[in-house]
Amino acid sequence: MLNYSIRRLLYFIPTLFIVAFMVFFLVRLIPGDPIQVMLGDGANPETIAAVREKMGLDRPLPIQFGIWLGSVVKGDFGTSIQTNRPVLQSIRERFPVTITLTTLALLFSLLLSIPTGMLAAVYRNTGKDYFFMLLTILGVSAPVFWLGLLSLLVFSVKLGWFPSIGFVPIWEDFWTGLTYLILPAVTLALHMAAVVARMTRSSMLEVLRLEYITHARAKGLGEGKVLIKHALKNAFGPTLTTIGIQYGQLLGGAVITESVFSLPGLGRYVMVSIHARDYPAVQGCILFMALIYVVINLVVDLMYTYFDPRIEYN
Amino acid sequence: MFMRKIYKNKLGLAGFIVILAFAMLALAAPWVSTHDPLKADVMNWKAPPSMDHFFGTDEYGRDIFSRVIHGTRISMYISFLSVLIATFFGVSIGAISGFYGGWIDNIIMRFMDAVMSFPAILLAIGIMAVMGGSIYNVTIALGFVYIPRFARIIRGSALSLRQKEFVEASLALGSSDFTIIFRHILPNCMAPLIVQITLSLAYAILAETGLSFLGLGAPPPAPSWGNILSDARNLMLDAPWMTVFPGIAITMCVLGFNLLGDALRDILDPRLK
Repeated sequence: MLNYSIRRLLYFIPTLFIVAFMVFFLVRLIPGDPIQVMLGDGANPETIAAVREKMGLDRPLPIQFGIWLGSVVKGDFGTSIQTNRPVLQSIRERFPVTITLTTLALLFSLLLSIPTGMLAAVYRNTGKDYFFMLLTILGVSAPVFWLGLLSLLVFSVKLGWFPSIGFVPIWEDFWTGLTYLILPAVTLALHMAAVVARMTRSSMLEVLRLEYITHARAKGLGEGKVLIKHALKNAFGPTLTTIGIQYGQLLGGAVITESVFSLPGLGRYVMVSIHARDYPAVQGCILFMALIYVVINLVVDLMYTYFDPRIEYN
Repeated sequence: MFMRKIYKNKLGLAGFIVILAFAMLALAAPWVSTHDPLKADVMNWKAPPSMDHFFGTDEYGRDIFSRVIHGTRISMYISFLSVLIATFFGVSIGAISGFYGGWIDNIIMRFMDAVMSFPAILLAIGIMAVMGGSIYNVTIALGFVYIPRFARIIRGSALSLRQKEFVEASLALGSSDFTIIFRHILPNCMAPLIVQITLSLAYAILAETGLSFLGLGAPPPAPSWGNILSDARNLMLDAPWMTVFPGIAITMCVLGFNLLGDALRDILDPRLK
């Protein structure tokens, strides 16, 4: 297990390096002169030259990348053109909103999906199974932003159960904060719930066929114990990987959900920065979110060894 | 035989029919739509659904039904072309990586891992932010983002296939690498490839509409599904029909690809069932 973990950690380094390179390179794809684009047509040549020098854009690309990577490692994600503040500071202010939203969504989706997937597997090929699977395939087919708009339309505008605009941080007033987060989190959770439910169903089906389950039943264990302690634990490996991958979808989906519900999170910040052509901010946010995603998948892979100890032999 | 299996799989057949219907709508959009999707009609703004305007009108009096029909064109065009790009490059890269192995494989796969280290939609957002919104750019961005999925599938098969006797025999007979990849390796990867193509089409439509909703797709006033929904957001109280109908169209279309993809997986690759 240790061997695998160390190898997995070593793989992590080149991946991080290439991710950083891609984010760096992304901004170099701007057609034309990036500085000109960022500052607008009215900027005078001296300002342009000053900004170019400040950002080190007058030097050769490999050196630019080296300098940039060095400052990122030291925690300097660049300076926003719009606000002239360090990008990392803005990220730090907005990230709590995004992490609360995605964590809540993760929680909702697991609560919905794992029981659903298990039930569908237990009642395979019956009406219940077909009903759940119909729900999940609808769940993976409906776009997140549309579900968001619909839930706003129904629950905020028509029924008035939830506020439709504004935001109160959950750490300032928990219950009021929650009312602002429930709709976005449920919306965001549905897609992931559908995917995880399907994965749980199929890996449960694979496990339930095995002899040790028959053995556990023959031993006289209660069905609940058989399903949860014996079947679910072994079926959980593939589900866990799916959850790791889906967390990335949540982060990406948060950009869309935060835009629909006007939440002041990282995703909204990315969109505002994009529309303001604030490329250092866009670059910083994308790098930050990619790093979070890479780390989460690393943690998931390491956790996998707990659920499936056989992994060390591969 | 194959068609009969599809036919027997009722959900798969339903998916296939839905896709066929959307594809035909996309081709016949100018004849099916009842109004010009871009023409404003201020006398009829925010009109609710009626016999004249099946899905109602928006704040400029543009006919939502016609805009949704023309939106089919944009979504179908972008999703098919982007998946084509991803398939072409993914298959080529995966085949080279798996066939040659060694350091070539190592470098290529590290790059593929890095691309997959981004949440797909986030990477597409980043690329669009830099390149600017246009149908052409969305196609390229999505095509790029989906390359690793294809590369991984083909690489896996190529790695195991090149150890097989029939590949060695072919090598011994003097076949070129190119011949082996095309004659022996690719035909053996068809099943998972077809499933991946179908499911990627579903993702591509979701991603395209999402990008366009965020203002990073085809620029307005193009009648893309995402654009209509983006307009609808400010008119939720006055014109709820603008929110309802385009979303149903997207969900139906994506559902079609997902149903067909699931059915194909069951038929072509029973192990994954």
